[in-house]
Amino acid sequence: MNWGDFMTLKFKNIIFISGLTLLFLILWGISLLADTPQGYSGLGATTDLSPDDQVIAFSYYHDGDASLYTVPVTGGRAELLAEPEEGTSYINPVFSPDGKNIAFIKQWDENEEPFGELMMINIENESIDELTSEGNHVTDAAFAPNGKELYLLQSSVYENYSPIASEHPHGFDIFHLDLKTNQIEQLTNEDAYEMSDIAVTPDGEQIMYHSYRDDDILAFYSLESEMENAFVPKGADLKESIISSPALADDGERVVFSGVAGEDGNYIYEGFIVDLNTKEAKKVTSFNEHVTSPVFFNHQNKLLVTVDENFAGAEPANGYWIIDLDKEDSRQWVEIKMSEKES
Amino acid sequence: MNKVNKYVNQALEQIQSPTEEREDIREELLSHIYEAKKHFMTEGFSEKKAEDKALEDFGKANNIGKDLQEAMYPFQRSFLYIIGIAMIVYGVLFYLNATFNLQEIIPSWLAIQFAFGGAVTLCAINISFVGRHFYVLHLVMFLTLMWNGFNFMVVEPLPAYGNNVFFWIYLAITILIGIIFIFTNSYYSTDIPKHKAKNGKTAIIISYFLNLILGMMLITFSLFLTWVILIFGGFTWPLVIPLIPVVVWLIFYKLQMRLIAKKPIISIFTGLLVAVLPLGVIYLLFSL
Repeated sequence: MNWGDFMTLKFKNIIFISGLTLLFLILWGISLLADTPQGYSGLGATTDLSPDDQVIAFSYYHDGDASLYTVPVTGGRAELLAEPEEGTSYINPVFSPDGKNIAFIKQWDENEEPFGELMMINIENESIDELTSEGNHVTDAAFAPNGKELYLLQSSVYENYSPIASEHPHGFDIFHLDLKTNQIEQLTNEDAYEMSDIAVTPDGEQIMYHSYRDDDILAFYSLESEMENAFVPKGADLKESIISSPALADDGERVVFSGVAGEDGNYIYEGFIVDLNTKEAKKVTSFNEHVTSPVFFNHQNKLLVTVDENFAGAEPANGYWIIDLDKEDSRQWVEIKMSEKES
Repeated sequence: MNKVNKYVNQALEQIQSPTEEREDIREELLSHIYEAKKHFMTEGFSEKKAEDKALEDFGKANNIGKDLQEAMYPFQRSFLYIIGIAMIVYGVLFYLNATFNLQEIIPSWLAIQFAFGGAVTLCAINISFVGRHFYVLHLVMFLTLMWNGFNFMVVEPLPAYGNNVFFWIYLAITILIGIIFIFTNSYYSTDIPKHKAKNGKTAIIISYFLNLILGMMLITFSLFLTWVILIFGGFTWPLVIPLIPVVVWLIFYKLQMRLIAKKPIISIFTGLLVAVLPLGVIYLLFSL
């Protein structure tokens, strides 16, 4: 009698099912020994330049939590400015016009719902003030040119507007914060689907932000007339009407943003500058990667951009680059050395 | 049960024939064995010895069954073994890669992958049972194809799982073998009436081909919709919606299998109706 004869059908079934179950349990057991996901570690996307163009403020994520750092614009060792408690991130830093303070968003999740409070740190003594009270959804902030006021974006709901959409912050409006009295006043009643990347024009009369109404738009809200003026940037190199992370130049006449310049399976985003008089957008970077969160230098015709070399990947691979707009294809990598813990 | 019946049953365990065909084969085998037994008895062997000699002459029951299976349903059982084992191996490789290279521990995915791979392999082992229940085999294969399609279109392209070319090619080959199996097995499983044996056969083949193409188009569309919902909405209840037309189609296909054999031309139109109607309902649901 050979093995085949000995193996009755019932026996074969039992052996197979038991073997497969055992294999499953072994694999499951092995995976319990593997490193558990730690969360993203690396540079954050958003940056800001000090008023004298000498220092970059940025977030660095360690196991999913972002701390605030500064580094000389020429690169070098990063300096830790503020480290949050576990499960919290400090993001979207913005220098005050006098360069003494940095406003930023303290962000954390509760039951998968993101919360955001506006904070401010004094660079010299590293004291941190909480400018909004607990339980808000502040996403972004910008200093007024006088440095005594801040304008912020805040969402009122965190939900999905469509059953096939995931939950996101919605119901956005612009708020005004007086740093002297700490009084917050709601300026708009837009209840907007989306608002982001707030900025104040150099004359302090208009608020610029990015929103979405069938298309991505750049909007300017007049503080005096309380009217909004919006447009969709156009340009030969702009392949889709998708724009993100716009930032205003110090002259108040140009906006730099990240836009779609092509496709290689994923969209390729490059930096574009739109002239606010002609509304024409022109491509100013050629990374063939994902260029995001560009900011203008304050006294030079340069840009600081974030380039994600792993766009649409599991985790971003961000690096900061300086683009000289007066020279063709001029780019310089900002080499940042983190302390041993981060790197 | 006497030795001969036991021998025949063992041979029949290797064959996927439906009940009627199985009984015919049983009778055929029995008559051949008894004839051989008679022959050996005339040569002077005792009844018991003649029976042993006849069975010995026939060869091993398993081999007889396997030969008959290959003659009547070529490659069908091998396809099942290949798909089932390929899925189990894929499960092991993908899970280990996700665990150690991507730090993504997904035991629930592995459990589903093993359940499908295991179900297909069990179909191969128990070919005589599933042969008597063609619809069960179809259902297992369609659901397996859907799961592999889900892995191909939804899981594998997710950035978190690496977008790995090797896994993609592996899946594509497994899916291709699955599609070939479904087409060939549908045809083999058709109980073609004798009067349709010549002209009707072509119509039946065409009808099967078109019906299965429609079903696969419906499944592909459902998977695409699942992918869209998953990308934009994550794991939410609307994920159930794309599954509804597939479930309707799978239930309908049980009836359709009979209709294809009897009225192949009409069944093309009913197949078209049942494949297109749910798409229209989904379109209306989302446009409201």
